[in-house]
Amino acid sequence: MIKLQNVEKVYRTSSIETLALNNINLDVKKKEFISIMGPSGCGKSTLLNIMGLLDAPSKGQIEIDGSKVENYNDKDLAHLRNQKLGFIFQSFHLINDLSVIDNVEIPLLYRSSTAKQRRDLAQEALEKVGLSNRMKHFPKQLSGGQKQRVAIARAIVGKPEIILADEPTGNLDSVMGNEILGILQKLNEDGATIVMVTHDDAMAKKTHRLVRLFDGTQVM
Amino acid sequence: MLRHLFKLIWNKKGTHSLLIVEIWASFMVLFGVLSLIVYNVSNYVQPIGFQYEQVWNLDLAHNQDTIQEAEKIQRVLQRVRSYKEVESASRMSGNTPFSANQSSGGITYNKVEVHGDFYASDAELSKVLDLPLISGRWYRDEDMIAKFVPIVINSKMQEKLFLNETALNKVIKMDDNRYFKVVGVVDRFKAKGEFMSDEPLVFEMIGKDNKWNSNILIKTRPGTDAEFEAKMVKDIATMLPGWGIEVSYLKDSRLTRHNITLVPVMIFLIVSGFLLTNVALGLFGILNLNIARRKGEIGLRRAMGATEGKVTNQFLGEIWVLATFSMILGLIFAVQFPLMNVFDLASSVYVMAIILAIVIIYLIVTLCAWFPSKQAARIHPAVALHEE
Repeated sequence: MIKLQNVEKVYRTSSIETLALNNINLDVKKKEFISIMGPSGCGKSTLLNIMGLLDAPSKGQIEIDGSKVENYNDKDLAHLRNQKLGFIFQSFHLINDLSVIDNVEIPLLYRSSTAKQRRDLAQEALEKVGLSNRMKHFPKQLSGGQKQRVAIARAIVGKPEIILADEPTGNLDSVMGNEILGILQKLNEDGATIVMVTHDDAMAKKTHRLVRLFDGTQVM
Repeated sequence: MLRHLFKLIWNKKGTHSLLIVEIWASFMVLFGVLSLIVYNVSNYVQPIGFQYEQVWNLDLAHNQDTIQEAEKIQRVLQRVRSYKEVESASRMSGNTPFSANQSSGGITYNKVEVHGDFYASDAELSKVLDLPLISGRWYRDEDMIAKFVPIVINSKMQEKLFLNETALNKVIKMDDNRYFKVVGVVDRFKAKGEFMSDEPLVFEMIGKDNKWNSNILIKTRPGTDAEFEAKMVKDIATMLPGWGIEVSYLKDSRLTRHNITLVPVMIFLIVSGFLLTNVALGLFGILNLNIARRKGEIGLRRAMGATEGKVTNQFLGEIWVLATFSMILGLIFAVQFPLMNVFDLASSVYVMAIILAIVIIYLIVTLCAWFPSKQAARIHPAVALHEE
């Protein structure tokens, strides 16, 4: 589903060159749930951004669901992100000025759909994460766990095949964290391919496979 | 997407209220200035209706002289007409073209009352000013022995006073003793210059015994210079000792009149230009700040599938929605002007001013939003998401 070959990422300033990722080779199979672990600054988020086409590698090739993206322009990449990928972030990234249901609808604004279709799909996604009773609320009225559930609903509303989660439980207590992991596991059982960055060993153990990074290099 | 933008702006109306007020105020000021400009331009493009290039205004003031003033003015008129440099000359009331004087009143016909300007002159005025008639003729000296005072009106007066009828030979009662008879109709006579609107007016014939209308309009031959003016003034001073004699050129008076009209327009333009510049700079600053604050949102939208173009359009769209809110508020006030016929201006002036104000406001907000919006679109999604 996601294939990375010899991926390297170098950040350059006028005086320093930092190797963030070094020769990463990774093949994430369809319906697989993998976790990426490693100390802070080892390149986990960079790897996730590259997988999510939010950042381009300095070297190497990326393949998403059979499509090689190296020659894709901004429009093609945006289309692929919209259709194939769903993102969940540690800090939720909800828009405070929009209600829960309007936040969930955001990915659908970038594809052709009617207002009714968007509303129906957003309601369906919110029902899946158990927040159908909070549709009209605003993010400031929600707890951390509820915010992350809204973010998950937003990630799955467009029915993407891949979900990329960057420390989705990082800002939550263990009870909430387990609840979120439970939702992700359920989504995986329903067919989604999930890549999750985490610091939590216990969470990582519950996934199918663990990828460890150290100083930008894949160690297992 | 538009609905989404409306929702986003509506939910942030508190934050944007000052900006809405600022755009609303700019719209109102712009509407006022543009109404003034549209009014003046629409007047300017209409012909003035007469020739003034070679025409001088000889203003005679009899001061303390109270003996035979009318005869003396007539003698001066004959003398002026006798110069080979003079093509024609005519006596006229003090409200000569481009002067600040005005004489107005109302006349009634068949219960229709029309207010208009009154000009008094002798039979030569149409020659001096090359006033073309669209029907009838200019009054002649022999008309003075007729029962009714001959008058010439303009087409505006004909249209308003006689509605769909022709004005020629119609008799109008002016007061208990005086009746006017329309002998001719001129197209237009914008005595205050190009910026004057075409208003109803009446030219009334004066007799040789009239001592009150002591201006003489003189049409000189091409090439006549100040040397002739000095000679003429000297001759008249000899004929009229103790009288005030002043000569002015209508083309100079016209420029003075233009300045009187244009100076307030220029002042309004400078004030509104200053205001609009402030609004533009304010908008630019607010948008830049907005984008800096909303980097996380930009990153999120890019991650969700927004292209650079869509991010640009979103920020432009937001400012257009804000401008639309503000201008809807402004329109509520602006439409009262044509509806209530404020300042007696044609509705088309206000409608044009409203359209222009809307276009200019959209143009300004677009220009101000363009650069920050492009900047927002260029923010790398991974960087934007990381920075929040």
